[in-house]
Amino acid sequence: MLARRQLSPRAFELELARPPDFAFVAGQHIRVHWEGRERDYSLVSAPAQATLALCVGQVTGPGVAAALGQLDVGDGVTFSGPHGHFIFKPSARPAVLVATGTGIAPFVAMARAGLRGFTLLQGARDAGDLYYAEELAAAAHTYVACLTRSGSVAAASDPAFFRGRVTEFMRTHLAPGRYDFYLCGGSAMIRNATLLVDERFVGSLVFSETFF
Amino acid sequence: MRIYTGGGDRGRTSLFSGERVAKHDRRIEAYGDLDELNSVLGALAAALGDAPAGGPAELGSEIERIQSDLLQAGAWLATTPGSTAQASLLEVTPHLIAGLEAAIDRMDAELEPLHGFILPGGSPSACWAHVARTVCRRAERRVVGLVDAVHGAHPAPELGEVPAPTPADRQAREQLGLIVIYLNRLSDYLFVLARHCNRRAGVPDRPWAP
Repeated sequence: MLARRQLSPRAFELELARPPDFAFVAGQHIRVHWEGRERDYSLVSAPAQATLALCVGQVTGPGVAAALGQLDVGDGVTFSGPHGHFIFKPSARPAVLVATGTGIAPFVAMARAGLRGFTLLQGARDAGDLYYAEELAAAAHTYVACLTRSGSVAAASDPAFFRGRVTEFMRTHLAPGRYDFYLCGGSAMIRNATLLVDERFVGSLVFSETFF
Repeated sequence: MRIYTGGGDRGRTSLFSGERVAKHDRRIEAYGDLDELNSVLGALAAALGDAPAGGPAELGSEIERIQSDLLQAGAWLATTPGSTAQASLLEVTPHLIAGLEAAIDRMDAELEPLHGFILPGGSPSACWAHVARTVCRRAERRVVGLVDAVHGAHPAPELGEVPAPTPADRQAREQLGLIVIYLNRLSDYLFVLARHCNRRAGVPDRPWAP
């Protein structure tokens, strides 16, 4: 482990040394192995970067995430990979990336790898959980932070902020049509977004990766 | 990570290439049958392991390789030809089919020649091999139907010229063709395996006597 950077009270970024000949596509993940347990983490670093980086949700108690939070610089991490098929697939349809919590991770890698022109809906409880928002907003054609916790007064007048869930934004603000949806994050969001696609965005493609 | 998302609660599901389709879509039917076949092969492998004489290690490995082949084939069935997702699929190759043929020849060399139909049955592993064989045939029928529906259509001339297939379309068509051949050969493999299992268990073939 090379460095740890706190992203918010609920998440941190871990920078790891990159093994030689380790190649991956933005959107893929590694599988961290720890004392008989394992957990998958999407890489937030770009494939061309010299080191690897993960976005980890802060937890207490036993488990891989808690163990990662206790690492000191220089500690070793065992992992396998890359794994997964949640990569960007170019098409003529507009891309809509939808993330909640640490589900933002694969989209960070995609943006760092050069993806542009997409719509990104980043769901979080409050503005403090919008990690990577600035760089993602710069890469996106349209960026909207969907906040579920009331009290973000400053957000109310900013078009980049929406008070409510990502799925509510999709229902009320995304014009019906055919899109390529990329969904990443909580299982409830993925379920609701997928059912909404069936209802309002017939003919769209849906790619999803469930984090929690 | 939860195994369930609920995205399929209203009868639709996603192909590997991202399209949302009804759960009775031809592709879903086809790889569903492959999934069923794979599950029966799992039961067969378990029966081989429980055989009193001990299932030979090479048979267990062979079944596991076939299960892996079927997952690979299933991915092609779950992908719309020409989609970007197709680029990440592993190809089904003639080498996999040749592997089945070699296994068939190996087992067949130790069996008495057949002179008629036999009744499916015998040892537990032989029974599972017969069940797998029939599920394999059903999967084969489903994939042939998919091939005909996707690649066999010939629009009437008055509807205009059919666009030339892209290299990706041709690749998908070739893969589906190889999958049909693979399933055809696998069915023969499972028939011979059933007889092989009975021979190892000391159970004779039961000829059909109409």
